[in-house]
Amino acid sequence: MSEQPMRPATPMLRQIAEHRSLLQRFMGVSKEWKGFALLLLGGLGLSNLAIAYVVIDGRLDGQWYDIRDLGNVTQHLRSWMQDEGFHPAVPYLTTALLGALGILSVVGGWLLIGSWVERRVLAKFQIRQGPNRTGPFGLFQPIADAVKLMQKEVVIPRVADKFLYYAPPVIIFIPAILGWGPVPWAGKMSFLDLNVGVLYTIAISSLGVLGVFLAGWSSNNHYSLLGAMRTVAMMVSYEIPISLALLAVVLLTGSMQLSTIVAWQANYNAWLIFLLPFAAFTFLFASTAEINRTPNDIGEAESEIVAGFYTEYSGMKAGLFMGVELGNAILVGAMMATFFLGGYTMFGLETWIPGYLILAAKIGAVYFLFVWLRGTLPRFRLDQLMGYAWKFLIPLSVVQVLLVAVEASIFARWETPALFPLAAFALLNLGLTVEMVRRWAHALGYAPEVAQQQPVMATAIGGLKAAQKMRGG
Amino acid sequence: MIPEQFGRVAVLLIFALGFPMLPLAISFLFGLLKIRPAHPDPVKNATYECGVEAEGSSWGQFNARYYLFALGFVIFDVEVIFLYPWAVNHATMPLYTILKAALFIGILLFGLGYAWRKRALEWR
Repeated sequence: MSEQPMRPATPMLRQIAEHRSLLQRFMGVSKEWKGFALLLLGGLGLSNLAIAYVVIDGRLDGQWYDIRDLGNVTQHLRSWMQDEGFHPAVPYLTTALLGALGILSVVGGWLLIGSWVERRVLAKFQIRQGPNRTGPFGLFQPIADAVKLMQKEVVIPRVADKFLYYAPPVIIFIPAILGWGPVPWAGKMSFLDLNVGVLYTIAISSLGVLGVFLAGWSSNNHYSLLGAMRTVAMMVSYEIPISLALLAVVLLTGSMQLSTIVAWQANYNAWLIFLLPFAAFTFLFASTAEINRTPNDIGEAESEIVAGFYTEYSGMKAGLFMGVELGNAILVGAMMATFFLGGYTMFGLETWIPGYLILAAKIGAVYFLFVWLRGTLPRFRLDQLMGYAWKFLIPLSVVQVLLVAVEASIFARWETPALFPLAAFALLNLGLTVEMVRRWAHALGYAPEVAQQQPVMATAIGGLKAAQKMRGG
Repeated sequence: MIPEQFGRVAVLLIFALGFPMLPLAISFLFGLLKIRPAHPDPVKNATYECGVEAEGSSWGQFNARYYLFALGFVIFDVEVIFLYPWAVNHATMPLYTILKAALFIGILLFGLGYAWRKRALEWR
């Protein structure tokens, strides 16, 4: 009848239609621009062919301009300095400074982009727009926020312990940045290639408790102290499942060096998430508790205790507490990618794409998962969280460690080929994990079939009938 | 090799301290330049307590249940850390060493069961 298109029924459909119109507008650009784009694509393709030739030829390997692995640059720089006859401290300090600057730029860049991504993605989950006014797509919003936070008045409670009050925003950043040390970004590109990398990671991650508790204690506020106590209890409880999950990883790969763990996964073309699904899940879930993110952010549950341990902080100090949450999230993403998702390798793709880009993509994927969890799951109660760590994750992780120990000794004695035992372990571990989780949950008194019979909330309050009536009418 | 590696940790530590201090320093500079307001008054600087005045100091007694979890953490985490050297060398050792490790893990599990039985894992 009418020419006007029908108005989409739900907000979600409306948003999809909006995006489609944006795409159409993009497709309607003039012919000259399309020709230019085609030329550009063709040029890129040709140059890619040239790069492919050089890569296959192998004459790129180990050159200083081989940007697939920035470790080459520092290696050549170091050897050049040694040839020039500098004091031995000079190349050492130079490479260390370069690496530290690299890590800081990664963290800083993610802090800026990540907060924008989080707010935008979360907004899409809730069918809102999110920040879209400051700059293109609201991209300058994090900068605007930072500037705003820096010029806010700083309110310090009279009764606070002044010295301890100033320290936590700085202290809390130490684990978030030191934790990046052993992460391998490419074959030769890791800041600290420690042979006790896993131990270092665990040690550094347990430092996070310090800043949280100092903040809560020095504020001299009931909410702060309660939030700090909750967070500390939760963090220390979830550290044990993390250690046990990483113990399974160390057992199977036989090394605590992160680069060796990645090399093991690349060598057998087997990501550890397939071989150790329960360890991967434990690590992911316990990490969300470790870094105070939803669904485990009981320490800063704003509906109960205002902002938890940083209630009394204002201005840039509060901003730092919020920033460190994001920084920790991407650090956990890097750890998750390194331990369970193959690190900087991607089934041979790392020959063509720089390893650090692959790792960054994996970090982004895990980060998106965190944002997804935040948009989807409600917050758990504290007693549920503690019970989950102590009664569920720890006993099952211990059983898993024993299982993996048997598997690892079989694998070490197995003659070629490795494919058969690894596939068998993957299937066995997946099946056993499902069965173990089901049985243990039953033993603890959780019965899913009973839970399904209980009425959902909409039916309980007669909302479903009302909804059906509305839909029919 | 190892001291060289941990020297790099020290370099990273300096950067890790500098990174959050930079925005704090800029904020302090804004305060000096009077861009950032500073109008303290007794009510504003009081302890936050959603509208009413805060009752007493927080530096007093609080529930002992937190300490139980901290104690449990100390015991279990140290035991797990002791398992790491075994985990690294496990594959090259004879098969029966699994039993020794299982004995050690059994003690850990026994401790967990004891704590459970004593209702130390309940959040009361």
